[in-house]
Amino acid sequence: MPFLQALLNGILVGGFYGFMVLGFSIIWGVMGIINLAHGEYVMMGAYFAWAMFRAFGIDPFVSALLVFPIMFVVGYVLQWLIINRVVERPHLISLLLNFGISISIANIYKLIYKADYRSVTVAYAGSFQLAGFTFPTVKTIIFFAALLIMVGLHLFLHRTRVGKSIRAAAQNKEAARIVGIDVHRVYAITAGICIGLTAVAGAMIAPIQPIFPFMGPIFTVRAFAITALGGLGRIPGALLGGLLLGIVETLLTIYVPGAGAKVGTAVSFIILVLVLITRPQGLLKGLRPVEGGA
Amino acid sequence: MRAATATSASAPVSLFRRWDIWAWVGLILLAALYPLSDPTTARLLVATQIFVLITLASNWNLIGGMTGYVDFGHLTFFGIGAYTVGILMTRSKEIVFAPQLSFWQAWVFSGLAAMVFALLLGAATLRLRGPYFSIAMLATLLAMREIVRLLTPITGGGGGLDLPPELNRIEEYYLSLGLMTLSVGLMWWIRNTEFGLSLLAIREDEVGAEMRGINTTLHKTTAFALSAFLTGLVGGFWAWQNTYIDPDVVFFEPRNLEMIIAVVLGGLGTVWGPPLGAVVLYGLREFFWNRFLFAHLLGLGLMLIFVVLFLPGGLIGLMQKGRAIPLHELLRPRPAVSQEEEA
Repeated sequence: MPFLQALLNGILVGGFYGFMVLGFSIIWGVMGIINLAHGEYVMMGAYFAWAMFRAFGIDPFVSALLVFPIMFVVGYVLQWLIINRVVERPHLISLLLNFGISISIANIYKLIYKADYRSVTVAYAGSFQLAGFTFPTVKTIIFFAALLIMVGLHLFLHRTRVGKSIRAAAQNKEAARIVGIDVHRVYAITAGICIGLTAVAGAMIAPIQPIFPFMGPIFTVRAFAITALGGLGRIPGALLGGLLLGIVETLLTIYVPGAGAKVGTAVSFIILVLVLITRPQGLLKGLRPVEGGA
Repeated sequence: MRAATATSASAPVSLFRRWDIWAWVGLILLAALYPLSDPTTARLLVATQIFVLITLASNWNLIGGMTGYVDFGHLTFFGIGAYTVGILMTRSKEIVFAPQLSFWQAWVFSGLAAMVFALLLGAATLRLRGPYFSIAMLATLLAMREIVRLLTPITGGGGGLDLPPELNRIEEYYLSLGLMTLSVGLMWWIRNTEFGLSLLAIREDEVGAEMRGINTTLHKTTAFALSAFLTGLVGGFWAWQNTYIDPDVVFFEPRNLEMIIAVVLGGLGTVWGPPLGAVVLYGLREFFWNRFLFAHLLGLGLMLIFVVLFLPGGLIGLMQKGRAIPLHELLRPRPAVSQEEEA
């Protein structure tokens, strides 16, 4: 029974990871850009939820809705002004650029909010019993919200005009241009949606995660490990990879003494290296060889 | 950037026609005579720090600039070097039951340890294309800092290690000068050999290089291991000079960034770019950022964005092009000519 309970906790965390990784995975799949600032957008969402909670007592899940349009604009503008300039250059350039962006964001937040750990404690922070299992309330809400957003995103990408043009640009940039899609504008919209969703994920975990300016890199590394497990730009793959990582992390924290909360980076790192050695194409053959624009 | 690298690399090695290496030798000789003028200890220390930054930048350039494999965690090797020296000089009795080593004996191992680690890590990550390597290295650095903090019995954990102080600023000066000469000289030599050309070929078109019969994995791994070896030596030297190491001062984030920015600022894949970039960066830090220390990392991050966007060829590229990029080109939201239109 303790094992099944741990498994349940892992699944709840994993569902969140699968949602958190989507922005990273779609940006990579559509533009071929590795968004090294991914974790920083999670951090921005978490700080937004914290600030809203502290100033106005707004619930983090309401903040998650509010933060999406704000971060959509941030992502759109960043892509339009900066990243579109390097999107067709070799990877070397976009990696360095995104590294600079991630360092800058983290340190702007350090200047504003200091390096202290912040936390959001909601009234319903406890847990409830169901069918003999203990369900942490917040994590359960996050899990189902994440699933809901994933379904919504899937419908958006497959049923709407904008979603279809995003997929078209990902499949064949040249052909998309020929049929009249403004690829740079589609990239900016994609970045807006992805960065917005990433910040939503950040706002949602604000109640269960210490918030500080340098919390980002762990999420970036996790995102990368999940992408290696589940493949690029595919929602079911992201969910599967997220679940796998969540379960492994949770089981290790429980069964390995002294592992503690720091286990996240190490686990992701080891999974990443193992997958890269044994299956360079990714666990589900989802990783295509990444080539620069040139 | 590409045109510049192609022309400067194609000339055959001729020691007497290349003025750049002779200018470098002249500078080194001048630097070697400098302590004779009886400078203050503070000035010697500044010079040593500049040499260390140049060495780190030049080593990073060997993997990041030449092969295009952006290493976001190169400080790992610096840390391995520093901790190898620290542990062998202070704790070898408890851990390997060997007698305490002197700095010179321990120093040899600092480079070797970093190189062995690079070979193991490279075997896993260098078979793949660039981005995987970059993130794996970022994760390595994060994981390494935590591991060092957790392994208290060996590394001293957060409390750190005190090394026996043998403060001799002149000796340190010459040692760092020697390290720098070695690293930059090696870089110059590699740049003028077939090995260097192969590395550049990997950066420009890895699949093409493979098809031309270049063993890309071997080339990448060699460059990575060499770079790690030299960086490990710098780390070992730094630990000895600083006489105290803990995870925060060894895995100091600005240092990781500075070695990358020095290379990008000077010119990726060039021999003289990283030294130039390192000197400019050091000057900026001393005269400007030291007044805004709280925003040091922010300044570095913004600088990286700026240089990548507006100065992709670095200072060396700027000099070779002979002109700056006009302002209206800088403000255009999209690249003036995209790659497809060019072809």
